[in-house]
Amino acid sequence: MTTLETLQDLLIAENGLTREQLTPEAELTALGIDSLGFVDLLFQIEDRFGIEIPGDNPNDLVRIGDVVTYIDSLRALQRERSADAERLSAGM
Amino acid sequence: MRRVAVTGLGVIAPLGDSVDRLFSGLLEGRSSVRRLAPFLCERLTSPIGAPVEFDGAAHFPAPRLKLLDRVSQLALVAAGQAVSAAGLDFASEDRARCGVCVGTSLGGAATTDEGYHILYAERTERVKPYSVIAAMHNAAAAWLAIDNGLAGPNLTFSTACSSSSVAIGEAARRIRYGEADVMLAGGAEAPLTYGVLRAWEALRTIATEDPREPSASCRPFSRNRSGLVLGEGAAFVVLEEFERAQRRGAPIRAELAGYGLSTDHDHITRPTEAGQAAAMRAALASANLPPQAIGYVNAHGTGTVQNDAVETAAIKEVLDAKSRQLPVSSTKSMHGHLLGAAGALEFVISVIALERGIAPPTMHLDAPDPLCDLDYCAGEPRRGLSLEAVMSNSFAFGGTNAVLIARRPQVSSP
Repeated sequence: MTTLETLQDLLIAENGLTREQLTPEAELTALGIDSLGFVDLLFQIEDRFGIEIPGDNPNDLVRIGDVVTYIDSLRALQRERSADAERLSAGM
Repeated sequence: MRRVAVTGLGVIAPLGDSVDRLFSGLLEGRSSVRRLAPFLCERLTSPIGAPVEFDGAAHFPAPRLKLLDRVSQLALVAAGQAVSAAGLDFASEDRARCGVCVGTSLGGAATTDEGYHILYAERTERVKPYSVIAAMHNAAAAWLAIDNGLAGPNLTFSTACSSSSVAIGEAARRIRYGEADVMLAGGAEAPLTYGVLRAWEALRTIATEDPREPSASCRPFSRNRSGLVLGEGAAFVVLEEFERAQRRGAPIRAELAGYGLSTDHDHITRPTEAGQAAAMRAALASANLPPQAIGYVNAHGTGTVQNDAVETAAIKEVLDAKSRQLPVSSTKSMHGHLLGAAGALEFVISVIALERGIAPPTMHLDAPDPLCDLDYCAGEPRRGLSLEAVMSNSFAFGGTNAVLIARRPQVSSP
């Protein structure tokens, strides 16, 4: 399942939105996700994707597509970090 | 001074999700007190309470529900009933002249309980992002303002068991003194969580469960009374400046004529006859009514050994000879103690008693206590009363005594 599909599933379940509404171009505010809803969304993303979003709120995420890119970049970063950690612990 | 009309009533309460169902339940002497969920029964010594059959999902879409603790859900639905009963359309009102007063003792207790469970029991850091706004005491009042677009005073009172009597009384003062024209006022409480129930049990104030019939565990004024039973729910009234309500042809259910406060200042929990009597006198003075005008008292009547004897003495002290023929009842015997919502619920009950000339009964009063010797309408409602004014008593841990008086509306001719 792609990141977009997982994010869509999450927003369908949690926010009562439809898949048709959740296109990469759709703006969060137009979907009823305001600054408060965005904080909740970050929490849900952490749970669903098993990632940790750093303390500073990302404030340049306007569209669903931006959120997908952001999630993918964090997942890649965190995969790299855990690979580094494994290499270190293996004494490489 | 401006007069205050009660033009709408709404409840989500043990015994009923409407004012009519609640009052019918009371007249039938039904009790909502019951054994609580199995996991609570395992952990509590006296696992009883008066829950409300209420599912927030039936009233709010999922994204909204996440923001609302049960206490706010109950408040919003009960207040919605009151607004529609009053026939109010806030869209055509001067919203700056319309406000909200809410009483709650514990606020979003379930949210707080859940947050602590996540931190201390599950030992994770995943406290939900909406915890603060769902648990804050003024959440219900805030949502009432947001949903109805009310820009006037928005206040939350937390004086334990008198919180919502204070909320209604203070709302009435805003109207009386010309600071507002319409106030949505009441209380909400959702205390049936393990953390809250256990804390009350630790204080040894919860009634012992009746082994034969759990629903009969709360026995106000009875010699064998053993304490209170916690209940949940919300009750709201719409208050309006009287002449304005009359002009718009609103259904004027009663006049909120009196509101009296006093403080028991020598102990954090122990009530005093002097303090309770002072609040009743203050309410009579504010209503400009003599004690003889009061035809029914909805007592605080918690079912604790201390309160019921002290309250009986205070009623006798203030209402004097009248108290011997006066119907007094504690409806807590049926709906339990709603803490911060108790005063509002019992004020609503008092208004219906006034309208219908019926005093609801005190149930489970089967062993008279020599210290409690008033006419408590034991086991049976008292019908056919000609009531001019009724009194609703609320007394609290922390000492804030609050008394409300409703009188039959004196409608002036145009």
